[in-house]
Amino acid sequence: MTERIPGAFHPFVIPFLAGMLFVLGYCLVGMVRVTLELPREDRRRFLLSLITPRTLWKNIKDIFLNCLIHVNLWKRNKNLGFMHSSIAFGWFMIILLGHIEVALFLPHRIRFFYYPIFFNFFVAEADATIKGSVMMFLMDFFLLIILIGIAMAMVKRIRSRWFGMRRTTRLSLLDSIGLYSLWAIFPLRLLAESFTAHISGGSFLTIPMNWLFHQFLTTEYHILPTWWAYSIALGVFMCVLPFTRYMHIPAEMLLIPMRNAGIRVRHPRKGFAKLEYYSCPGCGVCIDACPMSVKKENLKDCTVYLNRQLRRGNERRIAEISDKCLLCGKCTAVCQVGVEGPELRVAQRERRRYAIDPDYSTVRPEVKGGSKVLYFAGCMTHLTPSVKSALSSVLETAGVEFSTMDPDGGICCGRPLMMAGRKEAADALIEKNRELILGSGCDTLLLSCPICYRVFRDSYDLPGIRVVHHSVYMDELLREGRLKINRGYECYVYHDPCELGRGCGIYDQPRHLLASAGELVEAKKNRAESICCGGSLGSLSLSFEKRRDITLASLRNLTDTEADAVVTACPLCKSTYGRYSDDTPVMDIAEVMQHKILLYENHE
Amino acid sequence: MAKKLRKKYISSGPMPVPKWENVLVVGAGIAGLEAASQLLSLGYKVTLIDKASYAGGHVASWHKLFPDRTDASSVITGLLSSIAGATLLLSTEILSVHRLGEGFAVVLSGGETLYFKAILLATGFSLFPAEKKEEYGYGVYNQVITNSDLEQWFNEGNDPRINDRKISSVGFVHCVGSRDIKAGNPQCSKVCCITAVKQAIEIKQHFPDAEVWCFYMDLRLFGKKYEDFYISAQKDYGIHFIRGRVSEVSEAIDGEVIVKAEDTLNGRPVKIKLSLLVLMAGIISRNDIQPLAEDLSVMMDSDGFLLSRDNITGITRSQRPGIFYAGTCTGPKTIPESLAEARSAAIDIHNYLRGL
Repeated sequence: MTERIPGAFHPFVIPFLAGMLFVLGYCLVGMVRVTLELPREDRRRFLLSLITPRTLWKNIKDIFLNCLIHVNLWKRNKNLGFMHSSIAFGWFMIILLGHIEVALFLPHRIRFFYYPIFFNFFVAEADATIKGSVMMFLMDFFLLIILIGIAMAMVKRIRSRWFGMRRTTRLSLLDSIGLYSLWAIFPLRLLAESFTAHISGGSFLTIPMNWLFHQFLTTEYHILPTWWAYSIALGVFMCVLPFTRYMHIPAEMLLIPMRNAGIRVRHPRKGFAKLEYYSCPGCGVCIDACPMSVKKENLKDCTVYLNRQLRRGNERRIAEISDKCLLCGKCTAVCQVGVEGPELRVAQRERRRYAIDPDYSTVRPEVKGGSKVLYFAGCMTHLTPSVKSALSSVLETAGVEFSTMDPDGGICCGRPLMMAGRKEAADALIEKNRELILGSGCDTLLLSCPICYRVFRDSYDLPGIRVVHHSVYMDELLREGRLKINRGYECYVYHDPCELGRGCGIYDQPRHLLASAGELVEAKKNRAESICCGGSLGSLSLSFEKRRDITLASLRNLTDTEADAVVTACPLCKSTYGRYSDDTPVMDIAEVMQHKILLYENHE
Repeated sequence: MAKKLRKKYISSGPMPVPKWENVLVVGAGIAGLEAASQLLSLGYKVTLIDKASYAGGHVASWHKLFPDRTDASSVITGLLSSIAGATLLLSTEILSVHRLGEGFAVVLSGGETLYFKAILLATGFSLFPAEKKEEYGYGVYNQVITNSDLEQWFNEGNDPRINDRKISSVGFVHCVGSRDIKAGNPQCSKVCCITAVKQAIEIKQHFPDAEVWCFYMDLRLFGKKYEDFYISAQKDYGIHFIRGRVSEVSEAIDGEVIVKAEDTLNGRPVKIKLSLLVLMAGIISRNDIQPLAEDLSVMMDSDGFLLSRDNITGITRSQRPGIFYAGTCTGPKTIPESLAEARSAAIDIHNYLRGL
């Protein structure tokens, strides 16, 4: 092992150096800015989490698993996972091994941080020792892994279906420059190292290539141009990186610790929100996931395009995309980075100012009750009276004494206003309802609507009162033996309502109920990937005609199972499907239970 | 060319009608019956088929018809007596149709295959299934019935939903499942306004002490004597008309239903307790028409009804030669309109067959 170039410098490293310094500086400034933009208490919490050993360890683990190994992508599709982790992890290993090489053989050169990158140019006979040849082998090995990944990435551009993606994003101009320079880096590195292999040494990849080239190239003049090209490719990539989707690489490394510290979107454009939309890798997994994508005209309204427009500051499109979304949360469920599309959109909606603020001071409902269980039906259940009567009858059978909070009209739970970004107006409702609930003397608040359930659970301060959804409550009654049913031969398919499943994480209790009532079959897309029924209150601008195709596609996912009935646990899903389901009945889970209880009682 | 056309279509003098030419009429409702009778008198052999086990379609189950409160049964009896020479096949469906030369080979559910020179579709409509508007509580509350249920009660008088309780107040909800984008039917059902006025008067005659309320979006009283009927409902029967849609219906403890609506003329919400609520379910396209339409390669319009060649001059003509329409298969219509269309379709078929 000897140093070939005295002074350890050559002008070709300048493009790389410039790019590297630029991107490091940019990211450092960005990091400080984002942290400073956080509200004071959030910033404190974040900085504290960085010195807490438990979160620190979690941060390191999450960054390794998400940024390098891409575990979430592996779960989604093996090819997609391999492609990403081969490039990310392979590149990381090449950089790491490069530094180890320098540290092992030429420790005094480690302070030139271009040195590990262009190691083979600067040294001669690096593979002369066992240690050296092992290192060379590893370098070639990881370069090969990356090259396979790059080849797969090229195939993906043409055949995205092989990677589990039907549609992928359309690249912007800068994204294309970033993409092509990234693709160029590794083949150029292979060329450069191969041309130099007879001097620096190499391994199974570079030495045969070197031999091959020497069969028809006899001069040494091509060595330097390839190293220049390699350095320029690196420099170009790093110079455009902050303005392309590849910004997600550094951004995600900050996003993960902030999320682990419990920071949430508080401002539409600053702090955590900015970090989220810069962390979007633009992969387009959310395009296929978005329920609106059944209509081609809505393809550019999914979260990946919201993030792009937020970065560009295109206000017209930001407002359009934010208002259209159903807020079903499926993009977040499938996103490998975990960009919270719905939260970002609601934050944008909050910017809108309304001329008239609602005044609820004249609303004075009272709760007649006194029972320990207080049932709040909410407006959607009032519009589907069969759900209300079924649940009442189930509760009576189980001997649950309950009073109804809104038998003859009541106050809205506040969730629709929250979704519309009118947090202050929603807070007024929440405060009114809170007084009523606390004054009623109940210890359990029962909801039959997941939209209400979510807001009562997350946004109400109700000390000592358990907030429970009727599917969970009925499941408990069944497990306690207070409800008696016989398992029948009916075949049910369960639709996970967005607000109950992805919103509140309740997937198993309704399934247990249905599996006790009959045969439960699963739709192709279920649980966290269940498709919004299209009736969501989340969208401010989708018309009923436009929602029709969403509902039909979502219903098809359920009826393809050929179940006897589609069962859901949300009155809004039920009425939305009911409108279009001509052959398969659509039922609320309470109706199934009521039916089963009647059968049991008649049988006894 | 002109001469040839003239010879083909406007040949002078009476032209002998070939007696062996068969025409199939699909649907034995009023349009089908009327068209069949006209075709018979023009000298054709007519086969009339219907899915149902009775002839007369929707009108057969109706009690009285607006605006003169004519007996529905007398209309049907009259029509039935005029189709004496036709072959009437009830409980019969078309299994498949194939175009054969200038006509059609039709396989019927009875197993027979028949050959027809022309087909007239008089397949009619479906009533909107009111349980789909669950907020109105049809199928959930016993106090909620539809316009069709009420006619049946007028006819038979044995509906426990009406008989088992004291009727002190009755509400009519207009436009249930029609002019309703949410329900997927943006079209106006055309006959419900006047039917509601008629039924409100009839209810008032049955229960003179009851208060009767109609909740409407618009009143579309376009036909002969409709307006008189409406004025009479207010002046002579004291029926209340409230402009505004019903938002939801719930049950009160005393067995009545509470109806919440908006009174858009007064600009305030209203809440009324009623002992009976009648939903004016609208006319919608038949959901079982699509397979037949595909078999015949006729197209469907965006509203689900069959697509006419032209909505002004060719409403009874399909896009395909030899296939004609009559009645509500192309959209909501009143009885006189359907009958007039049936006659016009018969003439259309006659001219078509003469020109072959």
